[in-house]
Formats: sequence, C-alpha cells, structure tokens
Amino acid sequence: MPVIELKDVSKLYGFGDATTVALDEVNFSVEKGEFVAIMGPSGSGKSTLLNIIGLLDKPTHGTYDLGGRRVERMRANRRSKIRRDTIGFIFQSFNLLPRLNVLENVALPLAYKGKTQTKRLKQAGAILEEVGLADREYFMPKQLSGGQTQRVAIARALVNNPKIIIADEPTGNLDSASSLVIMELLDKIHRDGNTILMVTHNPELTKYASRVVFMHDGSIVADEMSKFGEIPGFIKRRMYSVKIKTQEDKLKGVSAVMKAIPDKNTKNDDSSNKKQKKPIKKYKRKNKAKK
Amino acid sequence: MLLSRNIRLAVSSLRSSKWRSYLTMLGIIIGVASVVVTVSIGEGVKKQVVKQINELGPELITVRPGTTVQRDENGNIVGVNLLAGINPGSFSEKEWTAITETSGVQSTSPLNVVSGVPRYQDKTMPNSIVVGTTDNFAALIGQELDYGAFFSDNDKNENTVVIGKRVADELFGELAPIGKSIQVRGHTLIVKGIFKQFPSTPLVASNDYNSTIFMPYEVSKKVSSGQVQIYQILAKAKDEKTANSAAANIRSNLTKLHGGEEDFTVLKQDENLAVVSNMLNLLTAFIAGVAAISLLVGGIGVMNIMLVLVSERTREIGVRKAVGATNKQILTQFLVESSVLCVVGGLLGIILSVIANYLIRVFTDLQPVITIPIILISVGIALIVGIIFGTTPAVIAARKDPIESLRYE
Repeated sequence: MPVIELKDVSKLYGFGDATTVALDEVNFSVEKGEFVAIMGPSGSGKSTLLNIIGLLDKPTHGTYDLGGRRVERMRANRRSKIRRDTIGFIFQSFNLLPRLNVLENVALPLAYKGKTQTKRLKQAGAILEEVGLADREYFMPKQLSGGQTQRVAIARALVNNPKIIIADEPTGNLDSASSLVIMELLDKIHRDGNTILMVTHNPELTKYASRVVFMHDGSIVADEMSKFGEIPGFIKRRMYSVKIKTQEDKLKGVSAVMKAIPDKNTKNDDSSNKKQKKPIKKYKRKNKAKK
Repeated sequence: MLLSRNIRLAVSSLRSSKWRSYLTMLGIIIGVASVVVTVSIGEGVKKQVVKQINELGPELITVRPGTTVQRDENGNIVGVNLLAGINPGSFSEKEWTAITETSGVQSTSPLNVVSGVPRYQDKTMPNSIVVGTTDNFAALIGQELDYGAFFSDNDKNENTVVIGKRVADELFGELAPIGKSIQVRGHTLIVKGIFKQFPSTPLVASNDYNSTIFMPYEVSKKVSSGQVQIYQILAKAKDEKTANSAAANIRSNLTKLHGGEEDFTVLKQDENLAVVSNMLNLLTAFIAGVAAISLLVGGIGVMNIMLVLVSERTREIGVRKAVGATNKQILTQFLVESSVLCVVGGLLGIILSVIANYLIRVFTDLQPVITIPIILISVGIALIVGIIFGTTPAVIAARKDPIESLRYE
C-alpha cells in the first residue's frame, strides 16, 4: 500500500475568469522508502503539490490518502496533529527559529506533542548526533554556517520519526560543497528506510533519487524510476539538449521543451488543452448546482 | 508544562527587544501605579477616620442640619446624600435646648461657628475654623490637652481660647503659645490650652479639630454679635444601650420642633462611620476609575505592540505551524506573551506605587495603606488587561495561513 496516494487532485486559485490552475487532476502515489525528486519550471505546480502532500494546503478537488487515512477534508487542528506526527519539513531557507538554540530548535516538534523537557532534549540530542552536530547543541542558529543550519533543519524534520520527509529545494541556498554534504545526508536517511519527497532545480541532484518526476503546467508529464548515481534520460535531454525545430516552438518557449518529451507527445496536444479547461468547467458546474 | 514553556518563551521574546518592552509596559506601569495609589490613599483615609470615630465612643450622637442620609421606616440608612454638605444651614439654640431636654441624653455640646479669621500680630490663618462650645466639649469627645487646660464653668465668660495643634504651629509658630493673644473680629482672646493632636482626617475639612480655635459658647455669641450658627450638636447618651433610643427620641423631638420636616441628620457613631466610609468608597472608586483609564490606554499600547510582534514573527508562526503547532497552541503562545508583558508591568507598577506612597507619607498628612487585596486585585487587573488586549493579535496569529507565513520576508 502506498504511503501517499493522490487521485485526480486539482488546485485552483482565484474565481471566474481569473481562475488559475495550479494542479490539474494529478494522480500520484509514493511507496514507502522511495526518494522522489520533483523537477519542473517555476509555476509548474511543484510547490503546490508539496504543500498539499504536506497538509499545509487543501486540494480543490480529488482525494488524498496519507498512510491509509483520508486527509484532504480534515480540519486545521487535525491536520496540524498529522503534520506533527507524520511529516517532516526541510525548507530552502532553513527556517530555524532565531531565538532558540540548536537543541531547542530540533526539539520544537516534540514540544507540541507535549513531551517533557528532559525527554525532548534527550531525543533531540540523539538526532543531532546522527547528523553530526552533537558539538553544536547550544549554538544559536546565526552562529552556524549554511550547511550546518540545514543539517539542524534536517534533524528537526527527523526528530518525530515522520512517515514522509518533504524537502523544498534543500540545497537552494547552499554552495556546492555544502549541497553535497546535505545530499549525502539525505541519501543516508533514505537508506535508513525513510520516504523523501524533494523539489529541486538542479538536475545533478536527481542522481540521489530513486524516482524522478517532472511537472509542467500543473500536470506530471514524466515519472521514471532511476538508479542511484544516474540522471534519468529525459532529464538529461530536457536540461542539455532541447531541440527547437521551428520558429513557432522558439516563441512558445518552455512548451517546446515539453514537446521534446516523448510520452507527453503520445497524448496529442488537443487533449492537454482540454485538460486545462476541464477543471474550470467543473467549477462552474458546481456553482450552478448550488444555485 | 506547556504554560511554563510558553512563559519562558515570552520572557525571552520580551528581553530580545528590551526598550520596546519597557516602553510598552510603561502604560501598564503608570496605570496600575495610579490605581494602586488612589485606592491606597482612600484606604488610608478611611483607616484614619475609623480610628478617630472609634475614639469618640459609641454613646456619642451627632446632630447636624441638612439631610445627609436617607432612612427606611426602621431607621436604617439606605442611602447617602453627598451634596447635603454643600449648604446645610444651621441650628439655633432652640434645637440645642430640645436635644438637652430629650430623655436618655446625658449631656450636650454645640459647635457654634464664628465667621472670622484669627489674627496673631500680623499673621492670619484663613483655613482655620473658629467655634464656640461649652466647657464639657473636651470631656464629651474624650480629648486631652497637651498644654494648659480647657475652659471650665468658671471662665465661660472670659475671653479665652483653646486651640488645635496646627493653629499653634501655623499661627504662632511655636509648641505652646499659652498666654499669647489672638484677634477675632476685633476681640482679643487669650490662649488657655492646646489640644493634643487629633487623629487627622484629611478630605473631611469640617471635622479637622487640629486647625480649630475653640472659645466658650457665651464668648462666641459676643464675638459674632449675638448671631448663632450651630453646625453640629454633640449629645452623649447615658450609656451604650440607651444610645439607640436617645437618638430616636432626638429625631422625633426635632421633627416636632421643625413642624414635621426632617431637615437634619442624627447619627450615632456607628452610623457616622458608615456614612463616612460610604462617601470615601464612592470618592475612591471615582478617582480610581479615572486612573483606570490610563490602564486602558496602556492596554491599547500592548495591543499595538502585539500586532507588530505578530506580523514581525509571521515566518516563525509559519514554521511552528509546519512542525505541527495547532492554532490553539499559537494562540496560547501569544496570549501568554501579552499577559506576561502586562503582569510584569503590573508588578513594576506596584513597586512604583510603593515608592509614591512613601513620598506621600513623607510630604503630606495622608497615610496611604497598601493591602494584600489591593496588590492581588491590581495584578489581576493587569492580567485581565493583557488577556483582553492580547486576544485580537493572538487570534490573528493563530489564523495565519502557514504557506503564506512561510513565504513572508
């Protein structure tokens, strides 16, 4: 049974003519122990997808099962608790609380669980040792380097033993040496049996993933298993050799890139156009039904 | 457990921007201090008055012109008329005689106001009161003299006066000006005695015997060219038990004398006490209410700063929500923070008011009293202010969308 199962999930923003489609009937499931890298141009819906999976956002349509539980219509309070118990977040900008020291930052999720302070700090200390920062426990976040800060953030994401770890461009603010350390750490966590979802702009990083997903205009346009240490073929083509056949393609810009990806081409262009309009129609129909 | 963590968090947050916290607290500090000071002054005055009245003894009955209190059919006081003191009129000798002849009354003593300013050499004392009274006055109110003697039956027609402590101090500038003479309305009067310090009763000017000049009743009539303005008649019942019936008899006799109109007030000591403390409570409540407005302003300041704090920490709220804080937990965090701000302000306000009270004791006659209930109530009020004015910012914080909060720069 998959840990994450999204069925026909759409996310719309705005009303009427101003409606924009962030996610377009996405079907997506993740098995336990997978390391999924999500790629795609900005505005393609990666973050929206992660926010919905991370229970920070609700889908407009569709269903979402997390660990066998229906979660898409839950109230804010229960979602908070599920976030606390089953999801760990790693952010591009680290997001440690500046007024707490490293140990307290790591222990933060446990505090909301209501554990006693000694238990909390003990557990946080153990996790910090795992990420190799046992000697930085009482430092303040601003006293750490970028790489160290992100390792603290990873420790925080791990401390409550989450079912899934969501990383939104974890190396986006780091130099390449620190990025390498972070990716090795994530790889180690993956090999320990954790499920990781990671958004990245850097195709090199997909080497660490066990599965690579490519998104465009709110849809998943490519989804491939990949071996450790290899960059999947379609990513390579996408990044390094985009063929522009006609002047028209050149003007279309990114969409020309998409045409170059074979399985998107098998579905013809008309269907993709239809897909974009469909949710809007659905939305309108719903409104009418209400009236 | 979570509360203590929140309190520690709040304290560290407040310490992270010390100046802002102090300035925000200043409103609360001033508000609490002004409320505590006014209430403690009221409390102190009440204590002094109670002490004074108790010293006079339970069998003493005071009769004054004007209707100061409203009574029900059984004679119990149901209300106090604060404005009655403004123009009470006066009694004449008729009433005095009536009271003296009332059954149950042992002895009486009138206080006849002489309108005049006493003069000693080239000094005057405009805030003093000159009264004429009988020779049993000192015994009636149980007051002893520091120096000299009270006038007796023998010198009731002599031009002598007995003065209060403050008159000796302000008019003569010495402790015992016995034998010196003062001028009142062109009459020369010789100081015969000086009273011991009366328990002073600030705010109740008509009762301040410390700045009063007493002369024999007959002399006072002479000085004021035969005019009689008795503003108070003291009557002593035979004993404590007959005080009630004596007071009732005085009431009925005087009502008869005034043609059925009860335009006077007969008060036993315990009633006197009730009236005075009632008036003082009202006055204190009014002033404290005015002072509480500054607390309100302080509360608005707290709310303002909490709103700033919430928007400043939007990102923190986002992170906390992402790692699993529920809306309620965020709400509690900010509510605790504003409460801590206000309670700390309240405690500092109490310290300030203790200092202010000390200065008041040193520089004025007032003797403010800070009691434990006053401290508890003012800390409680500060806490309530913190909760009331912290609620809106805390709710705003709790309702923030986690995604937008995480993006907030």
